[in-house]
Amino acid sequence: MTISKERSVTATLAAATCTLLGTVPAPVDAQEEPKWDFNTSVLYYGEDGDRVQDASLKALIRRMFVDDRYLTLGITVDTLTGATPSGAIRQDGAQTFTRPSGNGSYVVPAGEHPLDDTFHDTRVALSANWTQPTGRAGLFDVGTSFSKEYDYTHLGVNARYAHDFNKRNTTLSAGISFSQDSVDPVGGSPRPLSEMLDVGDISNRSGSEDKDIIDVVVGITQVINPKLIVQANYSLSQSDGYLNNPYKVLSVVDPITGDTLARTPGIEGGPSGIFLFENRPDTRTQHSIYTQAKYYMGGKVLDVSYRYMTDDWEIDSHTVDLRYRWPLGSEKYLEPHLRFYTQSEAEFYRLSLPDPNDPNGAPLPAYASSDYRLGNFDAITAGLKYGWTTKNGNEMSVRLEWYRQTGTIPADQIIGNQANRDNYPDLNAVIAQFSYRFDL
Amino acid sequence: MKKVILLAGLVMAACAGCSSMGVEPWERDVLAREEMQLTTDPLEAATDDHIYFSKEASSGGRGFGGGGCGCN
Repeated sequence: MTISKERSVTATLAAATCTLLGTVPAPVDAQEEPKWDFNTSVLYYGEDGDRVQDASLKALIRRMFVDDRYLTLGITVDTLTGATPSGAIRQDGAQTFTRPSGNGSYVVPAGEHPLDDTFHDTRVALSANWTQPTGRAGLFDVGTSFSKEYDYTHLGVNARYAHDFNKRNTTLSAGISFSQDSVDPVGGSPRPLSEMLDVGDISNRSGSEDKDIIDVVVGITQVINPKLIVQANYSLSQSDGYLNNPYKVLSVVDPITGDTLARTPGIEGGPSGIFLFENRPDTRTQHSIYTQAKYYMGGKVLDVSYRYMTDDWEIDSHTVDLRYRWPLGSEKYLEPHLRFYTQSEAEFYRLSLPDPNDPNGAPLPAYASSDYRLGNFDAITAGLKYGWTTKNGNEMSVRLEWYRQTGTIPADQIIGNQANRDNYPDLNAVIAQFSYRFDL
Repeated sequence: MKKVILLAGLVMAACAGCSSMGVEPWERDVLAREEMQLTTDPLEAATDDHIYFSKEASSGGRGFGGGGCGCN
């Protein structure tokens, strides 16, 4: 084996197995061995109906050192604006809600899905990973990550080891990551299942909350033949601590009509109905199986993956992802992309809640959330990417994708007039990304 | 201890099964191509992971699920 061949193989396996990490290093052209590799992009993500808009700048910067060691730095800056579903249900009349800060109120017109429009934030995320070979067949990676939003801080560390067997045709890997996140909600974190109060009343609020997340991933990557490589991962994710969304509420409804119970706002203003802040269990255990195959077909490459996830909140999900890279000559390519996703609702997902003050009514459940992301829904992504190599050998690409979520509320949760309304906040979003990759 | 031995045995059996597959070093020209890496575009993969983490109840699989976002 020549030195360049060996390096090529190492680079291949490094790239092939580094996928265990969230911010993976880019594959490297072994022939040129540049010292710096810059992978940059501008992203726009926009949801329809004045919902979330995100303009984002991202970069992965890799510094190469001798002996195949490298440092990968990641930076992301997100600017988020727009409205997000509050969790309350539609009503035939206008509804008033106290803002999360407690310093004002907003009105949702009759018949419209309640959206909280106070959402705007800047998020900065940084990461650093050090990767180096250990012995002839091992690869070790250790890293740290940090992100900060106005009301949220994340700090994480991670480590991973991959070992090659069978002439480097088989790679076994294992990784672990630990995150410590802290949420400091605007106006304080509300007491779970307490009522949304009048403007200026923050008596049900307390300070910041924490959660810890441990992820363990083990995987195998196998070269099947000169044109086919496959991967399978098992991952376990354990979350402990404050797992609520401090801004989400549920409507308290009449047991016959299903309409939100009316409330008289205070002098300074306040909610027009009874809304309770959500409550989720303080632990969650997720198991995932992820499989991927890449197959080379005379210049074209088919990339197929499937993921099954199940957790102790009784959410099951299936994800199928298909990409087909279609070269246009040697310098350009087109890549259509399709993704299908489906999930079942969490066992504590509720569209609305019974009146806790009604002595003859149903008791309040211990846990309840109407967050649409914990509901029963299907999603589809369809997109197209066009990539090309510039005259000086750098790579550019542009992609445009559509994402659509359509959900259904379990029939046994629909009460009275709720049957006449569209209760799930369907989501349509566009994703546009321009990427530029260059070496120095 | 028995579980460890059993697990080690299973891994060795799996690796023995894998040894009949694969390629010789000189057959790797296609596998070494950039478009044949499992993650061709790491920045795009990280972007997608973050978007879907924010909008769905599942995360990770390809890599760590992790946290790192309030994601309203």
